[in-house]
Amino acid sequence: MNATSEITYLQAISDGLREEMRADESVFCMGEDIGAFGGAFKVTDGFIEEFGADRVWDTPLAENAIVGTAVGAAVEGLRPVCEMQFADFIACGFDELVNVAAKLHYRQGLAVPMVVRLPSGGGFSGGPFHSQNPEAWFLQSPGLKVVAPSTAEDAKGLIASAIRDPNPVIYLEHKNLYRHVKGEVAEGRYETPLGEARLAREGSDLTVVTYGAMVHTALEATEDLEGASVEVLDLRTLQPLDTEAILRSVRKTSKVVVLYEATRSCGVGAEVASIVAEEAFEDLDGPVVRVCAPDVPIPFSPPLERAVLPQVDDVKEACRELLAY
Amino acid sequence: MPQMGVSVAEGTIVEWRKRPGDWVEADEPIVQIDTDKVETEIPSPASGRVKEILVEVGTTVDVGTLLATIDTGATPGEAHADEHVDAAGQADVADAEAKPPPVSPVVRRIADEHGVDLGRVQGSGRRGRVTKKDLLAFLENGAPKLHSESPYVEDQAPAAGGQELSIMRKRIADHMVHSLQTAAHCTTMVEADMSRIEAARGRLSYLPFVARAVIAALREYPMLNATLEGDRLTVHEDVHLGIAVSLGEDGLIVPVVHNAHELSHEGLAARVKDLAERARDRRLEPDEVAGGTFTITNPGRYGALLATPIINQPQVAILDLEAVVKRPVVVTDEHGNDSIAIRPMTYLCMSWDHRALDGALAAQFLSAVRRNIEEWRS
Repeated sequence: MNATSEITYLQAISDGLREEMRADESVFCMGEDIGAFGGAFKVTDGFIEEFGADRVWDTPLAENAIVGTAVGAAVEGLRPVCEMQFADFIACGFDELVNVAAKLHYRQGLAVPMVVRLPSGGGFSGGPFHSQNPEAWFLQSPGLKVVAPSTAEDAKGLIASAIRDPNPVIYLEHKNLYRHVKGEVAEGRYETPLGEARLAREGSDLTVVTYGAMVHTALEATEDLEGASVEVLDLRTLQPLDTEAILRSVRKTSKVVVLYEATRSCGVGAEVASIVAEEAFEDLDGPVVRVCAPDVPIPFSPPLERAVLPQVDDVKEACRELLAY
Repeated sequence: MPQMGVSVAEGTIVEWRKRPGDWVEADEPIVQIDTDKVETEIPSPASGRVKEILVEVGTTVDVGTLLATIDTGATPGEAHADEHVDAAGQADVADAEAKPPPVSPVVRRIADEHGVDLGRVQGSGRRGRVTKKDLLAFLENGAPKLHSESPYVEDQAPAAGGQELSIMRKRIADHMVHSLQTAAHCTTMVEADMSRIEAARGRLSYLPFVARAVIAALREYPMLNATLEGDRLTVHEDVHLGIAVSLGEDGLIVPVVHNAHELSHEGLAARVKDLAERARDRRLEPDEVAGGTFTITNPGRYGALLATPIINQPQVAILDLEAVVKRPVVVTDEHGNDSIAIRPMTYLCMSWDHRALDGALAAQFLSAVRRNIEEWRS
């Protein structure tokens, strides 16, 4: 076992990326202001000094060009890691991602080992263009893998797995976790396996299935819920989903709250709810409940944003309701 | 029209409890029928949606006549439009509120698996819904299966009030029911003249003398000094004698006099006294209530004459020592002359397991005990 040190979620992403770049010369970074400025959130701070401008590219404000270039580089055998300054901006690079990167293996048998890092999520008055959780877009695009770590340990392990995977991987890093979440992280390279959920807390009365920043909301909300024993399942990977882990938990607790920060319709939580309804119907002791944002843009106004994004009290209320059902 | 008893040939519809389109659960009353013997509710033979009612109220039909059809392929919840609307066209709100809400899939499944009538389970969920937790707790606490043997007799609800059995009583209950369900109980009785023991016992009770007589007989008939576990019978050489000790209202415990065959009646008396005292003070060690090979129970001092004791599993027999009472008995002297005398007599009642032995052996053994008692020499 390697030595560990307590670092932030942001530092964990940075460390994971740096160690992969040190270990594998085919790994390189590209994005807006990631070089000289070290990235809008400083994930790649110091990278250009260590690896040089050949492996840490400052690109124009042209997401379609970033993703398109990455696809070409990946097909040629490199392992590009693209940073979108905000997840919201991936919309500009959408065609290259969902029509080209996602389908190259299907069409031509080509590996596309690229990663697109998406700083996502709200909670800091970023407004409608800087706060979105666009993960569901990618679940509609077969050929992409999607990960969303909630802890520093998984942030580092999943960036490594994403880089080493032969498929295009969307890496959702929640901006609210960057400096708020710290954890003991092993030094040196390690992988967090793709497609494996993590039991954030074991329980027997109810399961909260969630991922990303909402894992922390779930843990806080259910820490002391009138003695109820609440299990919290951190999905970690959204595509492919760890269906086994979800069903195992549901079969134990028989009650499920699906918690996600994204908007309600057709979200990851909706997919989880469908799987539960289809495959664990006879294990259910109550309706599958979604706690998520309503189908509205994320407001800039702090009180409105709080009203839109799921809060600790919303989760408490939903869990209480379902426990009492 | 179901066959309700051998001699019933026809029945009259008194009342339909369901209308076409209503959902009916299996065993739920569906129709009230009058025969020349009895008026009774008929339970539905299946779950489903009532499709058609073929015999109107007041009509008398022969046994075997089709009364109604039930669509068993239907699903609950798809009520017909006016299911909850009464004859006057008013929504039956009170009725809807009184009905417990539908159960969840997991509760339905577990109830089906265990044959639980959910009407007996107290629901703690919203509007009294039976939750999975409620059902599991119900099963955990040994759900009483109260289904009546007769489909025409309603199940009885558990009596209100009362109090839960103590842990000791529950344990005794478990052991006794288990024994009755396990062993083929049979009780044999002999009468014994206690004159010699009466003369010899002084301030001691009868028990150590009878115990001594039993131990000697067990050495003679070791098949009674045995344990039967499943298909495996173990015949013991050493006698570890269990003595039932009453703890008053709390219950009963059976400490064991280990290697009782090595003790005289005085030694037995001392050991039984010590064990009984410590039993009443709750100071027995676990080993002191384990390993018995034969048990004597002694309620005779309370005046009972006969009893059919329950075997202390896995032993194969238990001897019940009843009251010693003076009776006129026929005695025969050495010349063969009969006369009537007053003697302290008792009945030795022994329950034995017919799986392990047969009546002849039980009688031979009891006769040996009687002989040892009647020919007592200290």
